[in-house]
Amino acid sequence: MSLKSILAVALGILSAIGGFVDIGDIVFNVQAGATFGFQLLWAVVIGVIGIVVYSEMCGRVAAVAKRPVFDLVRERAGFGAGLTTLFASEVVNLMTCAAEVGGVAICLKLLAGLPYRLLIVVAVVALIVCAWRLPFEWIERVFGYLGLCLLVFAVAAIKLHPDWGEVGRGLVPGSHSGASTLVYLYFVVGLLGAAMTPYEVYFYSSGVVEDRWGPKDLRLNRVTAVIGYGLGGFLSFALMITAAMLFLPRGIDPELLGSPALAGGDTLGQIGLLLALVGILFAVGGAAIETCFSGAYNLAQFFGWRWGKFERPVRASRFTLSWLVIFALAMLVVMTGYDPVKLTEYAVIFSVVALPLTYLPILIVANDRTYMGSYTNGRVANAFGIAYLVIILAISVAAIPLMIVTNAGQG
Amino acid sequence: MTRPTPVDLALGVLDHQLVDADGENCGKVDELELTGLDSASPEVVAILVGGTAWRTRGLLGRIASRFSGNAVHVPWSEVKSVSAVVELKRPAAELRLARGDDRWGKWTAKLPGGG
Repeated sequence: MSLKSILAVALGILSAIGGFVDIGDIVFNVQAGATFGFQLLWAVVIGVIGIVVYSEMCGRVAAVAKRPVFDLVRERAGFGAGLTTLFASEVVNLMTCAAEVGGVAICLKLLAGLPYRLLIVVAVVALIVCAWRLPFEWIERVFGYLGLCLLVFAVAAIKLHPDWGEVGRGLVPGSHSGASTLVYLYFVVGLLGAAMTPYEVYFYSSGVVEDRWGPKDLRLNRVTAVIGYGLGGFLSFALMITAAMLFLPRGIDPELLGSPALAGGDTLGQIGLLLALVGILFAVGGAAIETCFSGAYNLAQFFGWRWGKFERPVRASRFTLSWLVIFALAMLVVMTGYDPVKLTEYAVIFSVVALPLTYLPILIVANDRTYMGSYTNGRVANAFGIAYLVIILAISVAAIPLMIVTNAGQG
Repeated sequence: MTRPTPVDLALGVLDHQLVDADGENCGKVDELELTGLDSASPEVVAILVGGTAWRTRGLLGRIASRFSGNAVHVPWSEVKSVSAVVELKRPAAELRLARGDDRWGKWTAKLPGGG
């Protein structure tokens, strides 16, 4: 490998790390840490392995067969089930996008102190300008790299001197204390859902097509998925550990998005607070663009329209108008003043329900020799793929009942 | 005569992406039209795209077709090849496909940098 290609791989990994965390991860990891300490770290590990397995798989399918995820959903699930999945995914994408936009506005409010609703408009306009003007890879990079400011939470987690033995025990599921078993299970579902959100595979696979990856890029695909998302998972750890150290002993319920940022400030002073806010701002802003694009990708791939950032808007007009409309709708949703943290919880829990019909077509096509040839799933990919399908089915059935009986984790 | 190839119409053709002669997306194989089902040699005569083609695709398809226009019929003789995608011999515009993108393109062209 030449120095230049090593650099390209490193840059790709960095943007994947920064791009892993979104508002769903922040909300669920921080609340899980504040409620159960380190006891749910194992759920993060399971979730991260799941997204690594399926993003590698959908990236491989997209690179070899040039089929992004919603193309496969339509093809394998047919019109009716495909349309149902499309509807569910659009609702979830819109909710998530709205929550991320709300997150951006909250960060801006904490940084600039202007009125919240004004900042929602500023946030949406800024995001639309970025998404409109920047080429695809620069969107990934700008938001991915600046999202790396979240590493301040890793520094905070270490500086807080957690009992590492206790942290280690959290990596193994076992008995729990802090709240009821149902609340514990609700957080398991939420953490898995936040790590494996369906929009990540919609966006990742469409991105592979946008970047025109082919079979020669499969190593890059594997490295980005495994190392990028794997290390991204460490940021989730850092968030949970920080919350466990700061909020649990003081009985603080971090129901505001600003609370995790304060954790950065509490341990590392003003610069820590600033880095935490900038990190959250760009991680969440990048995710807003990703969710909004995912919505447009899915529509275009279901109906067979021309799509992509690489197409001129006049050519891929329906795709372009779709993402503009999704941003506008997301703005209206947050403008109602509904709490973005609550919106995030609902979005993550509902997204879990859409997971099986998103992941199953990927697994089926990754096993189709006529499409994949020598790049068909091996035994390891299939073993993990099937195991995760079982997990996904279980949590998709449990998600909404758990949300109702625990009053969304309130106990 | 070429040797027959087994193709699962439901899995290998239906709901697949249509790509025109310029390599551009131009809709999905929403429904297939067959003739001679009561004869010795049934034949696929056309691909139906959009609108009323969804009518036969279950309850949701029936509802969706109410809100959209007529299907476009693409004669099977216009098909160049069938693989993961169904490739057509001519550009989409000549087959009256992808008209939605062309129609809405007039609007996006008016946006700054949209042309």
